[in-house]
Amino acid sequence: MRIEITRSGGFGGLTRTWSLEVSASEAEQRWLPLAAEAEPGPAPEPAPEPGPAPGEEPTASGGSGAHRDRFTYRITIGYTEVLVPEERLEEPWRELIDRARAAPVPGPPAPSPGDSGPGTDSKQQASDGPGAGGQESPRKLL
Amino acid sequence: MHRTHCGIVPPHLLTRLAALQDPRLSAASRAARHALLELQPVHRIRADALRAPVRRGSAVVGTLARRIHDAGGREELPGTAVRPEGGPVTGDAAADEAYDGLGATYRLFSEEYGRSSIDGAGKRLDATVHYGSDYDNAFWDGERMVFGDGDGEIFGRFTASLTVISHELTHGFTQYSTNLEYQGQSGALNESLSDVFGVLVEQRELGQDAAAAPWLIGAGIFTEDVQGVALRSLKAPGTAYDDDVLGRDPQPATMADYVRTTSDNGGVHINSGIPNHAFYRAATALGGEAWKAAGSIWYDAVLSGDIPSDCDFPTFARATVRAADKRFGSGSREVGAVAEAWAQVGVVP
Repeated sequence: MRIEITRSGGFGGLTRTWSLEVSASEAEQRWLPLAAEAEPGPAPEPAPEPGPAPGEEPTASGGSGAHRDRFTYRITIGYTEVLVPEERLEEPWRELIDRARAAPVPGPPAPSPGDSGPGTDSKQQASDGPGAGGQESPRKLL
Repeated sequence: MHRTHCGIVPPHLLTRLAALQDPRLSAASRAARHALLELQPVHRIRADALRAPVRRGSAVVGTLARRIHDAGGREELPGTAVRPEGGPVTGDAAADEAYDGLGATYRLFSEEYGRSSIDGAGKRLDATVHYGSDYDNAFWDGERMVFGDGDGEIFGRFTASLTVISHELTHGFTQYSTNLEYQGQSGALNESLSDVFGVLVEQRELGQDAAAAPWLIGAGIFTEDVQGVALRSLKAPGTAYDDDVLGRDPQPATMADYVRTTSDNGGVHINSGIPNHAFYRAATALGGEAWKAAGSIWYDAVLSGDIPSDCDFPTFARATVRAADKRFGSGSREVGAVAEAWAQVGVVP
């Protein structure tokens, strides 16, 4: 089973994506239970409207506490997605991320669905920031 | 436990009461200190901000206090103290750059805008260098600045650019003033304030006027393998880098290219290009030293009380026009330049 990890934010706001293949049994025994414990994936947030948006409620999905410029990891295991701020990244996830970063870069990744238009509220908003996805090359591995 | 402050005494008043020295009021003072402890951290931060003395027009004397720590390559804070205020040069580039960068940032706020440190009350400036292994980031954790050394392939050490240090420290200033929420447009404004005062610190240190300055954030932290000059450009958002691994700088300069995304807290490091470019336009229209007129207007707007924590771009734009009006008079060229700058990026104040 393929696990995809997208890191966004950070001082530079650069979005990076890594992925690795794990066996179905590893995914089911180790990672899916961990994902189920974690907070739910990206809450469908009201996309910020260009232009005035009076009364727009701030979402709770913002950066945690007073941390600024930290990374956010989006971990996708099959149809399950979790969003983990760097400051709350515990050891099992760190191991997974280290493995994904060290994994050989596969061929061109399947095109990810871009940002959905307004009104879409499914969990399929696996939105990559611009400049991300589909352009990994083996030159460097962050 | 999570308590919500719902007392009738506003936080700034509690703060004043808590600080009273009069023995006749010691009971009230004690009660206020107790009530303050139950405030949510965000309320306490805002209470501190409201208490902070705002002095303008004259430099604040002698309250710069810095302390640099070294995390030794681990992801643990604060690390080992390596340079206190007034301590000798360490010989470690990252520690000394952080020390000097904090000083330069302090001087801009103190000498130009009359603010003593990020909280207006002389708070010590803490930073940790050599955080993590191959760590590709610099951040503000609510209390201190933290700098990684980079992976050596894409990023070198983050203290190598003064604008990175001044950007992080300005997150502290924002925390103690408007406390803009780190999401969507208010988050992009939070980022933009760090970029704006970040470049102003560097321009002032180097004596660059608006026309001569490069208006770049993070110049010099990419390795030479990367096709790019910096992480962001206020002058030309979207042009800072274009690299086969990193992709292209995604920043828009105007509302027409506003990016909607769920990544990066709703694109806080992306859409900050729009208010960044508005500041650049205002500063270059006015000419001269950008930290003087344009910087003062932005600073006044932040402390005006007109910026709610969920501020959107038009609300922020209105606050800057009002601040220009207050400082330079209605019908002044400064008011015109600021209003025109926002119009050029597609934000209607």
